[in-house]
Amino acid sequence: MSAHMPLAKSHQPRPPALLRAALLALSCVSALLAICPNAAAQETPYFVAYSHHLEEPDNLEVEAYSIYGTQKGGPDFIAPWIEFEYGVTAWWTTEVYIDTQHTFGGLDRTVFTGTRFENRFRPLMHEHWINPVLYVEFENTTDADKTLKEVVGLDTQFDAAEPNSEANRHHTHELETKLILSSDYKGWNFSENFIGEKNLGHEAWEFGYALGVSRPLRLEATPQHCNFCRENFVLGAEMYGGLGTAKAFSLSGTSHYVAPIAAWQLPSGVTFSISPGFGLNDNSHRFLLRWGMSYEISGFGRKLRSMF
Amino acid sequence: MRSLLIPALLTFASLAAAAGAVHQHKSDDRGVWVEIAQAPASTRSWKNPYEGRADGIAAGRKLFLQHCAECHGDEATGKHAPNLRSPGVQNATPGELAWLLRNGNLTHRMPPWAGIPDQRRWQIVAYLKSLGAAESKPVSESE
Repeated sequence: MSAHMPLAKSHQPRPPALLRAALLALSCVSALLAICPNAAAQETPYFVAYSHHLEEPDNLEVEAYSIYGTQKGGPDFIAPWIEFEYGVTAWWTTEVYIDTQHTFGGLDRTVFTGTRFENRFRPLMHEHWINPVLYVEFENTTDADKTLKEVVGLDTQFDAAEPNSEANRHHTHELETKLILSSDYKGWNFSENFIGEKNLGHEAWEFGYALGVSRPLRLEATPQHCNFCRENFVLGAEMYGGLGTAKAFSLSGTSHYVAPIAAWQLPSGVTFSISPGFGLNDNSHRFLLRWGMSYEISGFGRKLRSMF
Repeated sequence: MRSLLIPALLTFASLAAAAGAVHQHKSDDRGVWVEIAQAPASTRSWKNPYEGRADGIAAGRKLFLQHCAECHGDEATGKHAPNLRSPGVQNATPGELAWLLRNGNLTHRMPPWAGIPDQRRWQIVAYLKSLGAAESKPVSESE
């Protein structure tokens, strides 16, 4: 007991600091919402897969998501993260993530697990049957990160069983690349992502995949403004998992998931999403639940530039 | 704090590049005409299933206000982006406008709207064609 006392004391200031940061972020977002108009976006409802639809130029989308996961051999966890997604041009979207995590039980139950910075580029200027997008992300996270935004290499649920007090000491710098292929056909979106991730600490390339399909419940719009009409609801499903490493390219020895998705896209620019996910083998978390809310701020960049 | 340094630098570099990109691509009506001219000839024969239908035009107006008005203005006469009631746009065929909506004009900051279903794009086209010609408002300098 006494051996734990110094550790416990050293972590006492964390909750107030986190609270202050959360309040500051909330204040900033509230101020932005107050001065900027909203807009309805055209994005697909996926949590893991990406389509070729980028953020509209000058628009900022603020997204707050969480994932709850069951854990074999350890306590369950919840990992909330915030995304700021900005349309730099019509062919370039940039995004910053702030990741946190809470594990039910143990020391250091709530931890900040790092940041990620991503960019997506459309190389082709027109729509085609299959539309490629190039994705590059720099991750500065710890091993305690459980947002499961992708599964690569030989990732399994047992990686997440390590206590936060240990896992959060191991920092990893990773470069993640994706080839995003996506098609729209008769209201359906089909997205296929091939993921390649490289730990910058001299580890082999790890690979993964994510697939997504989605469709609005109603394709044409109604003349009336409505929140609960079918046109505002999108249903879909995702499947994602690892593909081994450059030395051992394989579907086995890693984890795979399938997850239906439902999204409610309000005309006001707010979107609510939820997705229960199910592990497909013993290496996978048995159950994952993702949910979140996003808000599209139209013309954010233009208003920001006009201030200077 | 060191863990935030690299992302902060990358973000700053991105925004700086973004500012440069913004000033390279001022939107004007010519961009729309040039893009419409690139529409394949086959698009000219496309028929709008909502043409002249009051419900389609009303739905198109709703969609226009949700997706387009922030840049093109509530009356589509141009705000930060081109006037959609200019002769160049109004004389385009519904098929050419539907093609432009689907593909966008990426070098002139017009996003592709392929992510919304075909039916909704046709509803927007029906609304645009119902507006008729009007004089443009000056394009914002920030664009």
